Amino acid sequence: MPTIGFAFEESIVSTPRLPIGRCTLLPLLDPSRMSLERIVSRVTSNQSRKLAVGKGYLDEQFCQVEDLQDEASPNFVEEVVTLFFKDSGRLMSNIEQALEKYPRDFNRWDTYMQQLKGSCSSIGASRMKNECMSFRDSCGQGNVEGCMRSFQKVKREHAVLRQKLESYFQLLRQAGPAGAATRPVM
Amino acid sequence: MRAAEERKGVVPAARRRDQFPVGMRVLAVDDDPVCLKVLETLLLRCQYHVTTTNQAAIALKMLRENRDMFDLVISDVHMPDMDGFKLLELVGLEMDLPVIMLSVNGETKTVLKGITHGACDYLLKPVRIEELRNIWQHVIRRKFSTRDRANLDFYEECNKPPNADSDHVHGHVTCGSPDQSGRPSKKRKEYCSEEEDEGEVNTQDIDDPSAPKKPRKYRLYLKRLSAVASQQVSIVAALGGRDPFLHMGGFEGLQGYQAFTSSAALSSFTPHGLLNSPRNNPAALGTQGVPASKSIQTMSGSHTLSHSINDANKYHLSLPGNQKGNLGQGLATSLGQTQMQQKWIHEETDDLSTILSGNGLSNGMSGTLQSVTSSPLLPQELAECTQAKIVSQPSIRTSSVSSEHIEGAVGVSSGLLESRVSQQSTIPLSGFSANGLLIHGSFNNTCANKLGGTSSSCAPARSSNDLMVARDTKGGASSFGGAMLLPPDTEQKYLNFGGGNGLKQKFDDRTADSLFDLKFVWSSVPSSQLASNIGAHHAMSQRWNNSSSNSSNIGARMIGQATSSGSTVIPQMKTDFLVSGDMAMPKNASDLSIPKLQSELSSSSCSFDGLLNSIVKVEKDDVTFSDDLGCGDFYSLGACI
Repeated sequence: MPTIGFAFEESIVSTPRLPIGRCTLLPLLDPSRMSLERIVSRVTSNQSRKLAVGKGYLDEQFCQVEDLQDEASPNFVEEVVTLFFKDSGRLMSNIEQALEKYPRDFNRWDTYMQQLKGSCSSIGASRMKNECMSFRDSCGQGNVEGCMRSFQKVKREHAVLRQKLESYFQLLRQAGPAGAATRPVM
Repeated sequence: MRAAEERKGVVPAARRRDQFPVGMRVLAVDDDPVCLKVLETLLLRCQYHVTTTNQAAIALKMLRENRDMFDLVISDVHMPDMDGFKLLELVGLEMDLPVIMLSVNGETKTVLKGITHGACDYLLKPVRIEELRNIWQHVIRRKFSTRDRANLDFYEECNKPPNADSDHVHGHVTCGSPDQSGRPSKKRKEYCSEEEDEGEVNTQDIDDPSAPKKPRKYRLYLKRLSAVASQQVSIVAALGGRDPFLHMGGFEGLQGYQAFTSSAALSSFTPHGLLNSPRNNPAALGTQGVPASKSIQTMSGSHTLSHSINDANKYHLSLPGNQKGNLGQGLATSLGQTQMQQKWIHEETDDLSTILSGNGLSNGMSGTLQSVTSSPLLPQELAECTQAKIVSQPSIRTSSVSSEHIEGAVGVSSGLLESRVSQQSTIPLSGFSANGLLIHGSFNNTCANKLGGTSSSCAPARSSNDLMVARDTKGGASSFGGAMLLPPDTEQKYLNFGGGNGLKQKFDDRTADSLFDLKFVWSSVPSSQLASNIGAHHAMSQRWNNSSSNSSNIGARMIGQATSSGSTVIPQMKTDFLVSGDMAMPKNASDLSIPKLQSELSSSSCSFDGLLNSIVKVEKDDVTFSDDLGCGDFYSLGACI
């Protein structure tokens, strides 16, 4: 049957893609196989991600993480993101405790924050990562006030990111399973 | 967090090895679960076989259970249960695997720390897949660097382009298998024992410019060896009446080693001396001569030794009269076979005179020597070079060198041996990879003995495990490092030797490679022998760790070991070298040289380069060994041994 579409990588068939940075273009889906609702959802999710990336909440690393999703690991992104929020929550409560329990213990604070920063960078949470870096800078300067402020920002970014990613995944789910997208047949 | 989990790579395990780098087995260690998961998936995407764990302790356990389970380790720097650098060191020391460090922190000092601890790469988080696609190169490089370090340096020293000679040498020296996915230690083993045709394959690889890992260190190490060798030569000359090391006089390294050879006792430092305290005095040397031959025989009957000895003789050619003896001495000392030395010296002398006539050869030998010194595996290469250069010593090769590399090494020593001791033929030169060191230094009888020891150690199909065992102990490594043949890393070891404790430090700083080198050299050692040697070494190494005085004991042990097995020769040589400082001059010379050496070693900065400099006191260009070295290198090596 005639389909509108274009060649694209096998691996991205099932994933909605946004033309963000190096992310590949979203393949057109075979309209005969997709309901309008799904199409809209897919576009919306793409836009959502586009916005997130465009605003800097997510960076190229996130695209790379998405690239890793394939048939072998169809829910990879969501798994990683879930893992991230779980682990970062733990790390942030560690930091919070340390800020209270070990006043002016910049080394300890810095060590904890370094872990959190690592997680952020692995997933592509760029704004949150930036706040982590400013926290570490404050630690280096011995600036308690600066640390406290930075930490609040980190928490805020963390919450915002969680919200955005959750809605993104929701849209993805609405957009349909991987099987919904097909390779265009020319 | 999750325990170690393993995911099959895309490629079936059966075909994994054949499609390297596809299927390369990676162990990833990181306490950050997010990063670990992403990393794991990235590695799988690269078609590697991935195992992950978030605890360094578990990683170590897995690695220790089966060294052959992984090709590469990627580890985070900041981990709660163990410092990433510590893990890096342990892995490098015990398993000699390439380790890549990961970190969020990209500060220069941290990166530097990683590199100095032996990391073969340092990646910043977040890791990109492009970076991971290339990590397999580290596995190859490591294999080649340990194996070819000597070769490459050798080649460089010999100024040999990848021509027939090189190929020839490589063939003999490397005899590695083309199987890249094999463990480096295996490669070394094969390296020592494989035939030339196999080596040919590797030759190409060897010529790969990216292979050598620590040429600088190695060269420094070689310099040191030559310096020591030359000192020894001078001592021998003084003792034997000849002036073999006069040639070496020009060798600046001698200056550095003055401490070592300050006294006759010190002379024991010379190839002999290092290993044999009793040999300190020339008189002892004389007596040693007789047993030397015997010891040679005992070496293990590997003819290769004879080869090496012959070659050594050849090298001696470059050196005046005593040189030969020196070489042998050097060898012997390393072996700890004072007796051998003596014998060699005597015998050598005779042969040497004949050989000396072929001065041209000596020059060639010098070149080869240089190259030899430059690379831990020099002996083999040297053999090659020598053979190439020393036209008149065709017999060298012919000795029953069991392994190709032995020939190389043998070239140096075999010349000596062959001419001298018929029994030598029995001496296994295979151990030569380690013997190579011998060649460098002094093939004199001692060398022969040593060669035998090493050659035997080099004997083909030595289990890398043997070496590994040796490597496990830091100290052991140093003892092995004693073998001059060892690649640049051995430098470190070498230095370490001197410093006993200092060595220990060195070891820490030393990259895994150095240990690897040690292993490498010894890989050829027959497992049985090696085992014994290792045991000895371990003991030694432990000793070292304890104190310099212990080292003397170790040295003694080494020597004893040497007699027992060829394999021990090499390590002994090394240890002797260092230890000899203690041993050789029981309470006398040791005070002189050893303390000095030790102080030098200890005082020098962590970088063994610094050590080398302090010890060698020569800032000569590595490549320039050739000039006066030829012999000097040899002797120094021998001395080192």
